[in-house]
Amino acid sequence: MRLLHYCVSHSIVSGMSMDDTTASHLQELRRGTVVLGCLMRLRTPDYGYALLESLNGIGITVDANTLYPLLRRLEKQGLLTSEWNTDEARPRKFYSTSATGEQLAAVLTADWHLIDQALTRLTTGDER
Amino acid sequence: MNTLTDRYVHAATRTVHERQRTELDRELRERIGDAVDARVESGEMPADAELAALTELGDPERLAAGYLDRPLHLIGPRYYLDWLRLVKVLLAIVVPIATGAVIFARLIGGGTAGEAIVDGLATGISVTVNLAFWVTLVFAIVERTPGRTSALSRWTPAQLPELPKSRQVSRADLILSIVFLVIGIVAIVWQQFTVPYPGGVTFPVLDPELWSFWLPYLIAVLLAEIVFVSLLYRNRHWNWWFAAVNIVLNAAFAIPVVWLASTGQLFNPELFEQVGPDADVVRTVLTNLVVSATVVIAIWDSVDGVIKAWRATRGGFGEAE
Repeated sequence: MRLLHYCVSHSIVSGMSMDDTTASHLQELRRGTVVLGCLMRLRTPDYGYALLESLNGIGITVDANTLYPLLRRLEKQGLLTSEWNTDEARPRKFYSTSATGEQLAAVLTADWHLIDQALTRLTTGDER
Repeated sequence: MNTLTDRYVHAATRTVHERQRTELDRELRERIGDAVDARVESGEMPADAELAALTELGDPERLAAGYLDRPLHLIGPRYYLDWLRLVKVLLAIVVPIATGAVIFARLIGGGTAGEAIVDGLATGISVTVNLAFWVTLVFAIVERTPGRTSALSRWTPAQLPELPKSRQVSRADLILSIVFLVIGIVAIVWQQFTVPYPGGVTFPVLDPELWSFWLPYLIAVLLAEIVFVSLLYRNRHWNWWFAAVNIVLNAAFAIPVVWLASTGQLFNPELFEQVGPDADVVRTVLTNLVVSATVVIAIWDSVDGVIKAWRATRGGFGEAE
């Protein structure tokens, strides 16, 4: 009971100023959601910086040093396709979600809902 | 005007394979350009913006490694345990053998004990460094070879170490040691009378003159070893004292035997006269055999004692051997 109390009060304190542990757990929790976010967002083709802006804009926080290598990796895995757009002065690589990427997005989304339901049950105490 | 960007892109792409270089070059320029533009739009001076954007990108080699999935470690977690086990096993086996062999070769080659030990230690250090280097090099190459996703060896529960025994020195150890020591003593006495040769004559194998001192001395050392193993059994565990006494006893036996053998005093000269024209060859072979067996056994046994004492002091005695 004392331990529980400690945990609760500790998390409240750290909620105000985020410590390293919290930051690393948050990063861990969000890592997979960036992939899902990319796959969903890139149903309309877009380039790295625009994607970075829009993901952060809707609340999926990710920094450039994570996103750019991630796009490359997803492309290598066949989940994204890419095309160079040279219409403007600066050539830009436009990524879009492939059919395989679409399938993965569906699987991930389903899983995301399962986890959400599970956590909801835990929160409400309704553990069926 | 984009000199810093040019230098950055060059630094990041120079180690990249030709095929991927152009692509990575373009991607980096796009990324840097967009980042600089965003900073300029928010009111920074272009030069400051470029500097800040590149600083944010970080070490170009690290960036390239991230883009290309290159490992930033020499040996990663996949192979680390295989590497560690192999290095340990090789060092434990090869270094003592190489060191012992050099000491031994130097001794029979006519060197002093000091020279032999210095050469032996130098060889030991050089073998250690070489082994560690080459094994690590091979593993570093394997780490960078694509295609494998799992470790080299699969762990099974059979590899689990035994739990510590309450007694490090078993009764079987005691009996085996005493049997060997008694056989040794009996053999020294017996060789005087009972080794038959064609023609019904018997010759002592060892020089009978050695009975004046050396043979009784060797028997005394063997008797002391019987006392030693008995005390060790009673103590249940090795410790540093036992390890030290064990080394002294081994030296007390091995050094005189090696000296006698290599100076030609060990064997009975009449024995070789019976052999005929090949006497010198037989003498050399026999001498080398005795000397090397004595040295190897003495070093092995001494090292064994030290290792067991070490295990006992850290409380991990009885580990799987």
